[in-house]
Amino acid sequence: METRAAISVQNLTKSFGSFAVLKGISFEVPTGQICGVLGPNGAGKTTLIKSLVGASRPSGGEVKILGNSPTNRAARKEIGYMPQAPALYEDLSALDNVLFFARAQGLKDAQKEAEEILEFVGLKDRQHDTVYTFSGGMKQRVSLACALVHHPKVLLLDEPTAGVDPKLKERFWEYFRKLAKQGVTILISTHLMDEALLCDYLTIIRGGQILASEKPQEIMAKGETELRIWQGEEKESAKVFHYTTALPSLLQAHGLDPKISKIEVQEEPLESIIVRMIGEDEV
Amino acid sequence: MRVLVVTSRVIKQIAKDHRFLALSVVGPLLITYFLKLTIDALTPVGVSGRYDNLVMPVVAAIVFFLGYILCLLALVRERTSQTLSRMFVSGFQRGEIILGYLFGFMGLATIQAALAMTEAYYLFNLSYSHHTLAYLFLVIWLLAVVSLSLGILVSNAARTEGQVVPFIPLVLLPSLFLSGIITNGVDKLPNWAQDVSYALPLRYASDSILSLVKGGSLGDIHGSLIGLLVYGLVLLSLAALTLKDYE
Repeated sequence: METRAAISVQNLTKSFGSFAVLKGISFEVPTGQICGVLGPNGAGKTTLIKSLVGASRPSGGEVKILGNSPTNRAARKEIGYMPQAPALYEDLSALDNVLFFARAQGLKDAQKEAEEILEFVGLKDRQHDTVYTFSGGMKQRVSLACALVHHPKVLLLDEPTAGVDPKLKERFWEYFRKLAKQGVTILISTHLMDEALLCDYLTIIRGGQILASEKPQEIMAKGETELRIWQGEEKESAKVFHYTTALPSLLQAHGLDPKISKIEVQEEPLESIIVRMIGEDEV
Repeated sequence: MRVLVVTSRVIKQIAKDHRFLALSVVGPLLITYFLKLTIDALTPVGVSGRYDNLVMPVVAAIVFFLGYILCLLALVRERTSQTLSRMFVSGFQRGEIILGYLFGFMGLATIQAALAMTEAYYLFNLSYSHHTLAYLFLVIWLLAVVSLSLGILVSNAARTEGQVVPFIPLVLLPSLFLSGIITNGVDKLPNWAQDVSYALPLRYASDSILSLVKGGSLGDIHGSLIGLLVYGLVLLSLAALTLKDYE
């Protein structure tokens, strides 16, 4: 079934003076999918997300959220945005912060919604405490609660789990997957490879350009796999791409030797593949 | 009704920041007291002077300066912390943010105006009719509202707290010297300076206050009051036009 793109970016450019941050980026995220944006520092991830929410006006190209410009009032009601910086009122409590953004969206039962989302991010016990007293990870959680409180259809999250402990991070991802199943489209920028593997699509950007926009499995398939074939005490190693195809021919070369005692398969980690992809392009 | 959402948040922030609140209340009281000390020091021994022409205009200037600086800094902080950008993404319109801020700070400005006026009234043994006092308060309060509008407008020109600093003396010092507060009216200033003074909200307030303390009525100051009101509306409109909702 073909799904309509909830996020559509066509030839997006953004320059600050003579410096081009985004150089003609185009991609789409279908409804109900999670798209991870990866790239080194200064690649343009944050500028891309700001352009998607309308906080940064493109120098050229077009951005559509659910078919509308992101600055359109109807589109903004459907956007949940979590910037890289916590962007909170530190002199107010966590609850006051979430309530402010809930009321901004005109939620009828703002108090209840705000309390529920704070419970989800694990801050129910601290909801009346001033944000100023929170750790970096806790501020991230309040910021995420502000982005989620009005149940948006499109979530744009700039490094949402930075500083969040692993257990809570797992819970967030379970929630993101649940939201995606319900039809929420999510775009997440991240540096974390374990998170990248949980996305439906990965868009890798460097120097303001897209290097790849593929499923994590497709990117993983580009990795080199080290095969170690043990014959008794002797070990033979080979580095191959697409090891599932390469393995039978390797075994054939050994004549299916009955002395083969063990075959080890060491897949290249996603991080290494991406670093290689970015590095190769730089040459 | 999202204006009220912003207003209630601003009021909550002011109320929760005890240090800010205390300084905002103590500030005008302390500065008014320093005014008393300065005038006493300048008055020759044995001379009992009346300072009607100076005290209330200076009180107006104090309220104006504080309102301007507080609102300016608060909005720049909103921009640097990226909450302003987040507000826009959440659907707030420029007018809603500006009016929300204006109403939110209005309470504090009213308290500052009332405290500074009351203190000056008793410290300098001033004596005005109830009507004159009410009109004086109206003028100073209106000036305070204009100072908030000016703070909002000027904040649009600054991206960081550091960029705010040059804007403070740039607005305050010309206002002080050219609005007729120190010179007891603008008549003695050169013609070009009198023309420039029309661009300063303090000039309209100073004219009104000087007229009132000399026994003038509401009818005598309606021109200056309208000038002040129009000034405030123009500032708010310009602030709404120049508030950037994007980078």
